Amino acid sequence: MIPPVTVIGIGNPYRRDDGAAASVLARLGPLVDPAQVRLVELDGEPVRLIQSWEGSRSVWLIDAVRSGRRAGSFHEVSAERLEEMDDHGVRLGGGHMMGLSDAVELARVLDCLPQTIRVLGIEGVDFADGVGLSREVDSGCAAAAVHLAAEIEIDLSH
Amino acid sequence: MTHDHRARRFNVEALTRVEGEGGLIVEVRDGEVADVHLRIFEPPRFFEAFLRGRAYSEPPDITARICGICPVAYQMSACQAIESALGVEVDAPLRDLRHLLYCGEWIESHTLHIHLLHAPDFLGYPSGIAMAAEHRFEVERGLQLKKLGNRIVEVVGGRAVHPVNVKIGGFYSTPTTATMAALAEELRAGLDAASEIARWVATFPMPDHELPDGTALVSLRHPTEYPMLGERLVSTTGLDIGVEEYLDHFAEVQVEHSTALHGQMLAGGDYLVGPLARFALNADLLAPRAAGLAAELGLTSAERNPFRSIVVRAIETVHACEVALSIAERYLVPTRAAVPVEAREGIGCGWTEAPRGLLFHRYEIDANGLIADARIVPPTSQNQPVIEHDLIHLIGNSLHLDDAALEHICEQAVRNYDPCISCATHFLDLRVLRS
Repeated sequence: MIPPVTVIGIGNPYRRDDGAAASVLARLGPLVDPAQVRLVELDGEPVRLIQSWEGSRSVWLIDAVRSGRRAGSFHEVSAERLEEMDDHGVRLGGGHMMGLSDAVELARVLDCLPQTIRVLGIEGVDFADGVGLSREVDSGCAAAAVHLAAEIEIDLSH
Repeated sequence: MTHDHRARRFNVEALTRVEGEGGLIVEVRDGEVADVHLRIFEPPRFFEAFLRGRAYSEPPDITARICGICPVAYQMSACQAIESALGVEVDAPLRDLRHLLYCGEWIESHTLHIHLLHAPDFLGYPSGIAMAAEHRFEVERGLQLKKLGNRIVEVVGGRAVHPVNVKIGGFYSTPTTATMAALAEELRAGLDAASEIARWVATFPMPDHELPDGTALVSLRHPTEYPMLGERLVSTTGLDIGVEEYLDHFAEVQVEHSTALHGQMLAGGDYLVGPLARFALNADLLAPRAAGLAAELGLTSAERNPFRSIVVRAIETVHACEVALSIAERYLVPTRAAVPVEAREGIGCGWTEAPRGLLFHRYEIDANGLIADARIVPPTSQNQPVIEHDLIHLIGNSLHLDDAALEHICEQAVRNYDPCISCATHFLDLRVLRS
């Protein structure tokens, strides 16, 4: 049985705060039921992305972002608005080939969009080479995991 | 902008990619191509410094992070080099599993490149998405095959992205026979799909073009296998060397216009690595169905048209499916997942054939088992000079084209080499400045 919810963390833990999504996934794991929620860590390659949510009705995409907001803060972005903020492959930490909005558009063309896609951006500050999150982002990831667990519980109760 | 074809300057904006920043500048003066500079900034340099002081066991996992598309290549070259330094030889069944893992990566990487990066160029679409809207069957077939590649990497490597099951000496764990039997079943269907993809790709209109005269083709060569895991390096210029001799014949040099190093044959002249070179030097070692298909499609070892690289990639995908199927069908759970490894001081080199071409690693390990020095030569840096010279040649023959057509063929030509910058598909925000 395929879990109805898939949470996909995108990023590269070897680029400091670009590892935010992986950190959120690690923290989210103990808070959710694996039969209900599938956790996937990806690098942003769009085909893997759209194939990783196959069978789920609800999808969360988690990624580090740099928008000038407070480091470690997190905010939800509508999948419909991705194109406005997406930089088509020059995403923080390096996306391969296409941006998130392209992945969503490819899924739409191939009729494999889930019922809902929600995007959670974690504001990063340090994207240099190396491992380890900055202190503010580390704290933000812990809060984001709790937020996500609550949102997923609401979703599953419907 | 003007339309004076005698003086033109193409400037491609800098790019940020997983493997660096790239850009393209083309200058045309007095109706002739004066210069072409392909600029790439390559993070592997950072990884080399990053590796120093790490345990000998870490490079397979760390270097896998260099590229999201070909992590297995980095893992395999790292393992080979470090195992050589430590005097370790893996059991034959474990080598088979590594070969299978590498097949998965070739399938995944080649299929992605063919369908979403390169095919749109040939069929006249601005992007893979636009092509998918009108060629949905072909794109879905391709992406299904790519998924099979992912599946192989997942089964053997532990997960599809940046596999975690590879270790010095072998693997942390090995698949069950039931898992492998299921994989074999998928591969039978995958092999048929791969064959149809090759036939489809061979119908694409191909620009009439050849590599610049004198370009040496360089590839690994194995006595019995189409090369993924080695073992000697050969060239169309007669080179035949072992891995320890690589740095006696090849070097990386700094060039003014790029922070990336350029590969260079010390004997002089450009050289090419990757599918076209592999095929030219190893066509006789293709698996039977791939070999038959290459013959059917008129592909011979004399092929020198870089645009036909897409056909070679499709043939190599068939080959990878065949080899993977063969390994999966005869699979028995190995008696051990890894051979014992003990740290010792040593120097070791390793090389394998990444989807894009030769990937060389060299490590110095100290008596405590820590990396004292690391050297990584990726295929993209090796191909940079030949890409530039090929573009000079191509543009020189194409100056009669208008800006849009010239831009298109430049992009397509860069993607013939599948450099990491081309993973940005249709990235070339090409501007033509005329004087």
